[in-house]
Amino acid sequence: MNRVGMTLKWFLFVWMAGVIWAAFLWIPSAQGFKGESSRIVFFHVPTAWVATLAFLVSCIASGLYLWRREPKYDFAAAVSAGLGLLYAVLATVTGAVFAKIMWGAYWNWDPRQTSITILLLIYAAYLALRSAVDDPEKRATLAAVYSILAFVTVPFLMFIVPRIYFSLHPDVMTNADPDNNLDSAHLRVLLASLAGFTGLSVWLYSIGIRIEEIRYRRRQEVL
Amino acid sequence: MSRWLAEALAVAAKDLRAEFRTRVALNSLVLFALTTLAAVSYTIGPYRLSTEDRPFLLSVLLWIVIFFAALAGLDRSFVKEEESHTAPLLRLAAAPTVVWAGKLLYNLVLIMVLMAMLVPLFCVLMGFEIAMPWRFAAVLAAGGFGLAVTTTIIAAIIAQAMTRGALFSVLSLPLLLPLLIFLIQGTTAAATSDLDTYRESLRAILSMAGAMTIFSAFLFPVVWRD
Repeated sequence: MNRVGMTLKWFLFVWMAGVIWAAFLWIPSAQGFKGESSRIVFFHVPTAWVATLAFLVSCIASGLYLWRREPKYDFAAAVSAGLGLLYAVLATVTGAVFAKIMWGAYWNWDPRQTSITILLLIYAAYLALRSAVDDPEKRATLAAVYSILAFVTVPFLMFIVPRIYFSLHPDVMTNADPDNNLDSAHLRVLLASLAGFTGLSVWLYSIGIRIEEIRYRRRQEVL
Repeated sequence: MSRWLAEALAVAAKDLRAEFRTRVALNSLVLFALTTLAAVSYTIGPYRLSTEDRPFLLSVLLWIVIFFAALAGLDRSFVKEEESHTAPLLRLAAAPTVVWAGKLLYNLVLIMVLMAMLVPLFCVLMGFEIAMPWRFAAVLAAGGFGLAVTTTIIAAIIAQAMTRGALFSVLSLPLLLPLLIFLIQGTTAAATSDLDTYRESLRAILSMAGAMTIFSAFLFPVVWRD
C-alpha cells in the first residue's frame, strides 16, 4: 500500500509538472484573449471544479451522516468543506485576475462571481458553525443539516440567477456556440489539469481524513 | 391533521403571549428597522435618486432594511427556549414538527408586523411610488414567508451553539442571498409594472421558499431531538 502510494505521489508530481509546463510553454496563447491571459483557464477551471466537487462530496457525506450516524461521514464532510473553501478562494482569485485583464475590473458581480461568493460564504458559515459547537455528535448533526440546507440554494444560483443577470463569463457547461469552443490541444491540457487537480485534492483529502481519525481516536482514549 | 394544526397554533400562541409580555424580539426588530430607515432616509431622502434608478435602488434599500432587521430579532424564537431552559419541556409536550410549525408561525407573525409598520413608512419617507400595489403586497408576503422559513431552521441550529448572535447572521445570509436577489427584482417589477419579470421572480421566490419549507420540515426533527 505504502509503495503504491509513493508511486502515485511521484506520478502526480510528474503529471502536475507536465501540466504546468504545457500550460505555460507548450500551448500557444488562445486567440481572442488579451496577451497571455487565456492560460489562466488551465488553473481557474480546475480549482472551480474541485471547489464544486468538494461541496457536492460534503453534502452527500452530510446526508449519509444523518442517515447512518457514523463519524467517518462527518470527517468526510468537514475535510471536503475545508478543501472546498481553499479551492473556492483560489478560483475566485484566478477569476478576478482574468476579469481584470479581459473586462477591466477585478470584481463586477457577474452571476458567476455572485455564486462563487455565496459558495465561499456557505463554506465560511459551515466552518464557523463547526467551531461554535463543542459536543462532537451535536456538531456533526448541526453541520450536516446546514450543509443540506445550503445545497437547496444551488439550483437557484446555477439556473435562475444567471437568467436574471447578463453574464460575461464564458459558458463552459452548455456551450452551444461552435466558435467559442476550445480547440483540441487546449482541451487536452485542460483535461490533464483537471485530472491533476482532482488527484491532488484526493491526496489532500486523504491526509485530512487521517488527521481527523487520529483526533477522534485521541479523544476516545482521553474519555 | 386538525389536532396537529391546533397544537402548532398553541405553540405559536404561547410564544406570542410570552413575546408580548417582554417584547424583546419585536423591539429589536422594529427599532432596528426604524433606526436604519431613519439613517437611510436622512442620508438619501426622497429627491436624491434619479427617476430611472428610483424603483431599483429603493427596492434594494427596502429589502436590505427588512433583511437586517429580521436577522437582528428572529433568532429569539429558539434562543429564548434554550436560555430560559424551557426547551426540554417543549420537547416533551409537543412533536418536533408541531414545534417547527408553531415557531414558523410565530416568526411569520413577527415579520408581518415588522413589514406592516416599516413598509408604509418607507414608502412615505422615501417617496417610493408603487405601480401595482397588490402585486407589491404579494411579493412582500412571499418574501416574508421565505424569510421566516429560513430563519426558523437557522435559529433552531444556532440555539444549540455557543456564540449565537453573530452566528445567526453568518449562517442565514448565504441561504437568503438568492432570495434577496429575486425579491429585489420582484419589487422593482411591481413598482414599474413590468408584468413578465414580476411573474418570473414571484415564481422563483415561491419555489425557493417552498423548497426551504420542505427541507426544513424534514430536517428540523433531527436538529430538535438532540
